[in-house]
Amino acid sequence: MSGERKLGGTALIVAAIAASLLLVGAYLAAGGSSYEPKQVQDPCQPRPWSNPETLGQIANQFTISALDGAACQLGVSRETLAQALATPEARERFTKQYGIDDEKLARAIRAGLVRAVDDAEEAGALSPLLAAPLREALQRIPLDQAIEIINDAQGFLGDVEGFLGPASDLLEQLLPGPGLFG
Amino acid sequence: METSGRRPRVAALALAVGVVLADSSIVVLALPEIYRELDTSVAGVTWVLISFNLVMALAAVPAALLARRVGPGRAAAVGLAVFAGAGLACGLADELSTLIAARCVQAVGGALAVTAALELLPATVGSERRAATVWAAAGATGAALGPALGGLLTELVSWQSIFLIQVPVSLAAAVPILAVAKHEAATGIIEPELRATGRPHLWANLALAMVSASIAAALFLLVLLLIEGWRLSPIEAALVVSVMPLAAILSGKLGDLVPDARSRAAAGAILVSGGLAGLAFLPKATILLTIPPQILVGIGLALVLSALTETALGGRAPQAIHGGWTISSRHAGVVIGLLILTPIFTADIDQQRDQAIEAGTAVILDSPVNPLLKLDLAERVSEQLETEKGKVPTIEPAFEPKPTDPAQRAEVEQLQGELQDQLDRGATHAFSTSFLLAALLGLIALFPIALSRRVDL
Repeated sequence: MSGERKLGGTALIVAAIAASLLLVGAYLAAGGSSYEPKQVQDPCQPRPWSNPETLGQIANQFTISALDGAACQLGVSRETLAQALATPEARERFTKQYGIDDEKLARAIRAGLVRAVDDAEEAGALSPLLAAPLREALQRIPLDQAIEIINDAQGFLGDVEGFLGPASDLLEQLLPGPGLFG
Repeated sequence: METSGRRPRVAALALAVGVVLADSSIVVLALPEIYRELDTSVAGVTWVLISFNLVMALAAVPAALLARRVGPGRAAAVGLAVFAGAGLACGLADELSTLIAARCVQAVGGALAVTAALELLPATVGSERRAATVWAAAGATGAALGPALGGLLTELVSWQSIFLIQVPVSLAAAVPILAVAKHEAATGIIEPELRATGRPHLWANLALAMVSASIAAALFLLVLLLIEGWRLSPIEAALVVSVMPLAAILSGKLGDLVPDARSRAAAGAILVSGGLAGLAFLPKATILLTIPPQILVGIGLALVLSALTETALGGRAPQAIHGGWTISSRHAGVVIGLLILTPIFTADIDQQRDQAIEAGTAVILDSPVNPLLKLDLAERVSEQLETEKGKVPTIEPAFEPKPTDPAQRAEVEQLQGELQDQLDRGATHAFSTSFLLAALLGLIALFPIALSRRVDL
């Protein structure tokens, strides 16, 4: 084999290695090794509220806290539970897949709603005057109603405000402090 | 042999080799369509691809022996006729079992035509080395062009047209060869005795099998990523994957600059592996980013397939038998690659789909969209996922109609974009392990390549 041939062969191999490393290096530098779906958060870890102002924003945070609390109790992700509660069919599939009966699901969702009240109170979005009776009430509600509260927290909190608002105004005059929603 | 008849005969023989070897991959882009139309399972439809390659792997060497016994002209003509007839049966098949049976017959005819073509080429082009180069280049071009052609035909006409169009093309390739067949029949000129064929080139054939597994994976996985992952139509996917054969064709002359076949084979295997590793680390689900890796794979396959085929054939006789061994190795490699990688990426797709849906749900939950609208969207997305169970879903229908309020509309559009991004990430990442394994197969081929040594005639 001639020297020229050897050189040509080696140059081709070196060029192939360089081109391959350049491509892979460029793609890795551009984030190729981490281009995957984002990891979901452990529902048992606290998820801080982001200073909600409107009723809609409070309801949003309330729902997320409730889902986190219930999912933590059931040992599933918040997202899996949210999908399961979207429709009655999805709920049936979920309970079958994870071997969860209605009673266990109800207990978990009630616990989740209580965590949502705790989180709301801690974030200053819910008055302590309202938090205590709400916790009491939520620990006793039936499953379908508990799911409805998660699915429509805004409606639920709106009702609470409408029902207890005048009483709260009176209490505020007697005991100065935060209103119903902070 | 008269010079005037040589050029059309070389073209016909190259066409025959290209058409037959394209058939090993041409059906890739049509598989989803066949799956739907013949109402079969994913595992079942994969056998449309595997059966052809498996029978080619098994039939290539016996076909070469037969070609030498009956005469290569007659064998090539009969092989092409069988290939065309079975292609017609494939195109008319309305059941999966019929289609797979016809594919097996097609492979037998194809094996006969391809190995006989190699026996005919030296007399037509003037030397065994030149014949091996033409034969290997035609095969590599056919194999690389296959998926793109299949995708175009599936989208523009139907999956059946992939097979039906092979009928006139194969018969056209057979016409110039008929003269040789007639000559053989008239003169009875057949090799007087079968020469001792010598052992096949173990290392070159082993490397061919590994590299073919790697290349088959590149084509198969990329097509699946584009169609099933990124939801491209077959014609769009065909256009995208045509970069690979284009790069292979345009770089065909590169091999001529480096006479050392072992260096060409090594460089080719490295480029194929580098391209596959690039596909494994795509930083975004964008068609443009698939182009540089495809260029590397295309150049690599042109270099490595021709170099290894030349090495396997060099210094060995008869060419048809050793050509049969290379065909056998290549198609066995394709089968092994598909059998190893199919369960891996199937499991990865399921896992990544679930992870992407979970991540998408997190995006919806954490979005600033009005809670009631969010609830409605979550229900619609959930229903959409159920409708497309088992696939990477399309989410656009769940977001229609969009809110009329401009602020809400903007929020919903942003949410849709973020959700789609999570699905794209899942679909793309699902193929990463398989692409990396395929790249590894290409790199492992460097060991037999290092041990291979061409023997000049």
